[in-house]
Amino acid sequence: MLQFLVKRLIGLIFVIVGITFITFIMGYLAPGDPIRAQMGDHFDYHTWLMLRHAYGLDLPWYQQYYNYLVHLAHLDFGISFKYQNRPVWDILKDGVPVSLELAFWGLIVELLLGIPVGILSAIRANSWIDTLNMGVALIIYALPPFVIAILAQVIIVWIDSKTGASWPSSSWGAPWQYDWADLQPKIVPILVYGAAGYAYFARLARTTMLEVLRQDYVRTARAKGLRERVVIYWHALRNALIPLVTVLGVAIGLLVAGTFFIEQIFNIPGIGRISLQSVIDLDYPVIQATVVLLAVGVVVGNLISDILYTIVDPRIRLE
Amino acid sequence: MSMDAHQRSSEAAGESFVKPDAGLQPPPAELLELAAGVSETPPLAVPPGEEELLQERRAPSPLRESLRRLRRDKRAMASLGLIIFFVLVAFFGPPIYQHIGGIYQSPQNGPVPASVYHSYYHEELIRQDEGPSAQYWLGTDDLGRDILARLMQGMLVSIIVATLVEVVDIVLGLIVGVLAGYFGGWIDQLLARFTDLMFAFPGLLFAIMLTGIIGPGASDALAKLPIIGPNGNGRLLLVSLALAITVWPLMARYVRGQTLQLKEQQFIEAARTSGSSNLRIIFRHIIPNLMSIVVVASTLNISNTIIGEAGISLLGLGVQAPGSSLGLMISDATPYINTHPWEILVPTTVLALIVLAFSFLGDGLRDAFDPRSKD
Repeated sequence: MLQFLVKRLIGLIFVIVGITFITFIMGYLAPGDPIRAQMGDHFDYHTWLMLRHAYGLDLPWYQQYYNYLVHLAHLDFGISFKYQNRPVWDILKDGVPVSLELAFWGLIVELLLGIPVGILSAIRANSWIDTLNMGVALIIYALPPFVIAILAQVIIVWIDSKTGASWPSSSWGAPWQYDWADLQPKIVPILVYGAAGYAYFARLARTTMLEVLRQDYVRTARAKGLRERVVIYWHALRNALIPLVTVLGVAIGLLVAGTFFIEQIFNIPGIGRISLQSVIDLDYPVIQATVVLLAVGVVVGNLISDILYTIVDPRIRLE
Repeated sequence: MSMDAHQRSSEAAGESFVKPDAGLQPPPAELLELAAGVSETPPLAVPPGEEELLQERRAPSPLRESLRRLRRDKRAMASLGLIIFFVLVAFFGPPIYQHIGGIYQSPQNGPVPASVYHSYYHEELIRQDEGPSAQYWLGTDDLGRDILARLMQGMLVSIIVATLVEVVDIVLGLIVGVLAGYFGGWIDQLLARFTDLMFAFPGLLFAIMLTGIIGPGASDALAKLPIIGPNGNGRLLLVSLALAITVWPLMARYVRGQTLQLKEQQFIEAARTSGSSNLRIIFRHIIPNLMSIVVVASTLNISNTIIGEAGISLLGLGVQAPGSSLGLMISDATPYINTHPWEILVPTTVLALIVLAFSFLGDGLRDAFDPRSKD
């Protein structure tokens, strides 16, 4: 167990260093001079030299990268190019709780809707419920998140125009506040955000549950006269959930990829939108910081799912 | 019928790639039916001309079997039909559409021929946000551009990007995957580390970064190329490149896994014993056997690629105006979602249909080539 975790941790550090290197080198090699771009018409050679020195851009690349890593280790993301004198963290800090909130509720939607629907489909395999569930899941899974988001928005606007209601179609409330005024705009984005993962979990839960229901121990449980409910919830379900734990990492990856579109389309002030804006502004320190944050999110998600796996399936620990 | 012949033919039917030696007697009818899926009784005596036909019935190749399964999959065939329709529209639609309709007397631009007002970039500013009409079949957008013309151009862009990405994906994935699977060693290690990295690094994030950072410079540089031209399509190559970099490790991983399995099989050993070089084994025996997995993986990947291009253009980092792309159309229409939802619904629906068609076709291909994978 310990050996397994240590191995995973080493792999994790390798991945994070690799990611920081890729983001750093892309910013370093990018055409165009960010300082010059920010100065615009107020170009002045002396100030340019001074700013270059202040940002450490006159150093060789390996020294720049080293400095960058050292600062990163102190959780210092540097200073924004666009908003001078403003630390990157200052720009990000309002977005982090918003994105975390979105991801948290998105994951809840995926798990609490997806798994029961998948299990239901497996129990009633090949009935109309199963066909309907899996048809919907198949379509939702195949569609990109932004298509679902736009269709949801069109429907909101259409209902608003028909009924005269004013359901918000693109805004966000205060993070982690759940008065009706704060909650109302969050409902649709969270549902849309969780949709892809919902479909993924529903399909997977159905497959694993069907697999488990074919096992000998389920037949034995039925043969000794246990009630169907006990067989399903006590014997089958617990084993069907094991493979689902391992794909939590995949689900978190889906969530991170969805961030950009959901936040852009629903006008949510999270990390995804800040990241996108920084790409448009060519604000490299902010780009690097958001990429590292999102990638760390994915990697930590994978690690958590690995740890959960060793807990639910003791056989892994023996390796 | 002797016991021996019976056994031999049942082997032939069970493992369809085994070529039956020129048997003197035809195998039993029920086995033939199983193998070929036909319910005709085979002729007992074989006329010389029909020998080939019999051979076919005896040993349908795995490919033939798979294609037969695919043809029976209604969803996959409908998707294939839809894809062919979209491709035809994207390639032949614009030239036909530009020849339909007479000269339009524009109060703003003077007389305008159909080849201009049915082009994807012409702006007829006094004809904004119109519904479908005889002149503009799917209406106009907020700048008075023909939605149908922009839609067809957007589909063309999706097809071009998907093709470029798949070419890189297949070439790189095959080369690296086969080398890693066949020889192992450092190249395998390198591939494993690299795929780990690319899996942790969300592919879309990488593509967004690459197009965002290099994009502005690249579109100026690429605008000089003849085919791309100055029409805002300069970033197409860049978007394709960015997407290709993010997808090929997955292909390489599939190919590597399959190569590892193939390598242990007896026909490879036989080839090696008979003195074939590694190169010959790879080209004659391994790569032909990888084709089904490559076809399935790349079809499934096409829908991701089309989503990726549309997404990047939607975020404003892909194709630039006056060029057109499904994602760009969606993003252009977003501010008018309250007043003219039609403009956003059209590209969104077409994109959804294309994506669904490719993933259904991919699922169908997978089921056809590997029936065990069906859940």
